[in-house]
Amino acid sequence: LRRCLSSVDVHRIEQSFWDIRRALQTKDTFKNITILSSLKNLDSIKPVDVCCVTRHLLTFYRDRVFKDHQETSHEVKRKISKIANLFLQMQRTLEQCVHSQCGCSQEATNATRIVQDNYNQLEVSSAALKSLGELDIFLAWIGKNHRETSAA
Amino acid sequence: GVALLPAPQNLTVLSTNMKHLLMWSPVAQPRETVSYSVEYQGEYESLYTSHLWIPSSRCSPTDSLECDVTDDITATVPYNFRVRAMLGSQTSAWSTLEPPFNRNSTVLIPPRMVVTEYGLHLVIKLEDLGPLFEFLVFYWRKEPDATEHFKVVKSGDSPLHLGTMEPGATYCVKAQARVNAIGRHSAFSQTRCVKMQGESLPLA
Repeated sequence: LRRCLSSVDVHRIEQSFWDIRRALQTKDTFKNITILSSLKNLDSIKPVDVCCVTRHLLTFYRDRVFKDHQETSHEVKRKISKIANLFLQMQRTLEQCVHSQCGCSQEATNATRIVQDNYNQLEVSSAALKSLGELDIFLAWIGKNHRETSAA
Repeated sequence: GVALLPAPQNLTVLSTNMKHLLMWSPVAQPRETVSYSVEYQGEYESLYTSHLWIPSSRCSPTDSLECDVTDDITATVPYNFRVRAMLGSQTSAWSTLEPPFNRNSTVLIPPRMVVTEYGLHLVIKLEDLGPLFEFLVFYWRKEPDATEHFKVVKSGDSPLHLGTMEPGATYCVKAQARVNAIGRHSAFSQTRCVKMQGESLPLA
């Protein structure tokens, strides 16, 4: 998979996330539950599945997390807007970059289904808040996997 | 408040070198100071949470007729902006920018540069345009069939030592600004030529 995602975009998303991470994670009352848990044990994911998992998780954030989250702080709203619009831009870059080479193995499909299932276990606003607070897991995974795949 | 005030008109964005300035015409109210409020939504909000408008980080409110929205625009996607007037408890209707603004339409101006020789060292200093910019610097010895050299200068890496040159020779430099985030670059700057100190070496 050629290098598709710009490390500059990922870095800028990380910057916006770190500015609001404390505010998000402080409000998360379900400390012992994780939604992106499956990503932690995906270290062995095959390069061929990286695109599928990336695309599914970008869609997950686009269609559920950013929509479901209700934010009162204008400053946090701005940061989330930055992240959401950079995700939108990344998704387009990914689509143009991979064309049709973005198949999903069963393993990749299971991994993203676990994330959805975890999300559905919680009440919507709690699930959205937790998923936002776990963005660092997803960003670290993107940074690691897209950098490696460029050398593959 | 009841919308008695007329809405601001002629919204436009002036964007140069990735600095984006939203401007509008004044709402005239004799002997009164009208203030304005600016809100925006990126493409994400307009597609998926269209009810959500975000107060601009700098101009909610403002007495000015313009608003620097550079910090609000952080992705290369279309952004909607709207402005309304406020006077006491009165507020106008919203005026919305048409068409939406995308930063890939910004005007990129050739960079200002200073080329200096320190003895035999050729040094270039480029203006700091911010973290989104890098510069393509081309330089060559002023002689027939000269070889053109090329360096990419990242934001913040200026001044840059281009190289140790031949005494008495003249070297020329030109540069252009590039923004990878929008996949575009500026025209070239004017070419600057500098004569190095010392005597030209006699031909062997």
